[in-house]
Amino acid sequence: MKDIVPTDSPVIRVDELRKSFQVPVREAGLAASVRSLVRRQTREVRAVDGVSFTLAPGEVVGFLGPNGAGKTTTLKMLSGLLHPGGGELRVLGYVPQRRERDFLRQITLVMGNRNQLQWDLPALDSFELQRAIYRLPADSFRRTRDEFIDLLEVGALVSKPVRNLSLGERMKMELIGALLHLPQVLFLDEPTIGLDVTMQRRIRAFIAEYNRRHGATVMLTSHYMADVEALCKRVIVIHHGQVLYDGALSGLVDRFAAYRQIGVAMAEPHDLSAYGEVISAEGGRVTLRVPRAEAARITARILADLPVSDLTIEEPPIDDVIEQVFAT
Amino acid sequence: MSLLRLAYHFFRVGAMNELQYRVNFFVQLIQSAVALAVGLIGLGLVFSHTSELAGWSQPELLAVMGVHILMGGFIQAIIQPNMLRLMDDVQQGTLDFALTKPEDAQVLVSVREIRIWQLVNVVIGAVVLAVAIIQIGERVGPGEGIIFAIALLLGGIMIYSFWLMLTSVSFWVVRVNEMVNLFEGVYAAGRWPVGIYPGWLQGLLTFIVPVAFAVTVPAEALTGRLNLLTLGLAAAVATGLLLLARLVWRVGLRQYSGASA
Repeated sequence: MKDIVPTDSPVIRVDELRKSFQVPVREAGLAASVRSLVRRQTREVRAVDGVSFTLAPGEVVGFLGPNGAGKTTTLKMLSGLLHPGGGELRVLGYVPQRRERDFLRQITLVMGNRNQLQWDLPALDSFELQRAIYRLPADSFRRTRDEFIDLLEVGALVSKPVRNLSLGERMKMELIGALLHLPQVLFLDEPTIGLDVTMQRRIRAFIAEYNRRHGATVMLTSHYMADVEALCKRVIVIHHGQVLYDGALSGLVDRFAAYRQIGVAMAEPHDLSAYGEVISAEGGRVTLRVPRAEAARITARILADLPVSDLTIEEPPIDDVIEQVFAT
Repeated sequence: MSLLRLAYHFFRVGAMNELQYRVNFFVQLIQSAVALAVGLIGLGLVFSHTSELAGWSQPELLAVMGVHILMGGFIQAIIQPNMLRLMDDVQQGTLDFALTKPEDAQVLVSVREIRIWQLVNVVIGAVVLAVAIIQIGERVGPGEGIIFAIALLLGGIMIYSFWLMLTSVSFWVVRVNEMVNLFEGVYAAGRWPVGIYPGWLQGLLTFIVPVAFAVTVPAEALTGRLNLLTLGLAAAVATGLLLLARLVWRVGLRQYSGASA
């Protein structure tokens, strides 16, 4: 059943979403294994614990968190694979776990570490299969397919058996196959995992282009901050199944970066360890790490004490920030 | 209709897949020829001592063997590979791809795979059947032919339902591959009419693993010894099993998606 949704209403609405799993607990060793045959002990793990957010049409949002934070569980609930343990969930106005055809026709799920193409056949044959499953009209199917093949520049590869392709080439084919039905909502779980930098960039550019041309809403998880920086203005950070941050990517750094980096350039080498933690020193170029709150005061002191020719204050790299957030 | 359309597309892809491995065709051919020879020798041995077995004459038993080979080919070509793939998908989490498609998931997981070389057995089974029919003579008319086809279809439905239920167990117990060997062992018993076995085994072969309905009953239809009551029973059992399998599958899916937790 589809609710009536005004066009400007959120594409994805998640309210107090919860999901727990019963996982078997067992100590190591044979004796414990035998004991667990008789009495299985389980422990409840709260994978998702009260997550709420909304996504507007056409938004590309990065979904960040360490392994086990609940990212994949959330994506699986959003795509109808898992039933929520609690809370409310709507995607395009549908209740995902009912897995209605009209809903499934408008979404896609890409998992970077698993593939759905026919291994021994050229990708073109797998695309035909997608056409049959989604019942796509032949001419529009062909147009979409050729458009994607052009965008990803894989014209020479689509007629080679998939098993002979590189990991990155295979991922390109996976993406084409997953988008042939022009879904409105994309759930991308680590789409660039294991790929080299160039290939990551191509995949990213393709996702951005798809979003631009078709106005699709994208939810992306990735371990590569470069993916997130390139594609997402907004990030949702979850940790231990709860939303830690939801907002602009730049705000994440503001909010969580406890340190600033001060770059100082001088004509002569000087020892600056009295001002802060020296990260690098090369001749007269020194980079310091200082607590964020004291950055302004320390900068003023350095400028007063030393013959500085140039000085910069920088945010730490986003990877470091994320790492700090999750370390807490 | 959507079932046939999808099945056609997967059949096409499956055929293309297997055509790359032509050697498999010859391996299958040899395997089938050996199995056929062993079967015929066994039959010959039995009838060198007696002229009938539990009321079945030699050509009639040849018909049973023909149905057994034919049905076995169908199981190995379509039912078994699909169900094995389903087990793999549950283990590896790739079932998610099937579940996010706008198509009935049961239909999808039942038509994805085909081992075309196994269809060699369908052909061999049909040839053995044809020889048996010629030997049996004029007693096989078009009426028997139609009832035979219906009985065969019902048998196929029962075996499929049985397999689907067996495979759905993988939603709870992830490693179930051993069950394949178990099934093959039981199915081998269907080479002979179930009537020759002791009562408890007949029960097992009829109602636990529906080999009797899949092989003996169609053969009975062909040899004119099937009454409409048995055919009606077969239809009822096939319908019941299909519905039950659908139910078990759905409950299994609920387990997979954590709806029951």
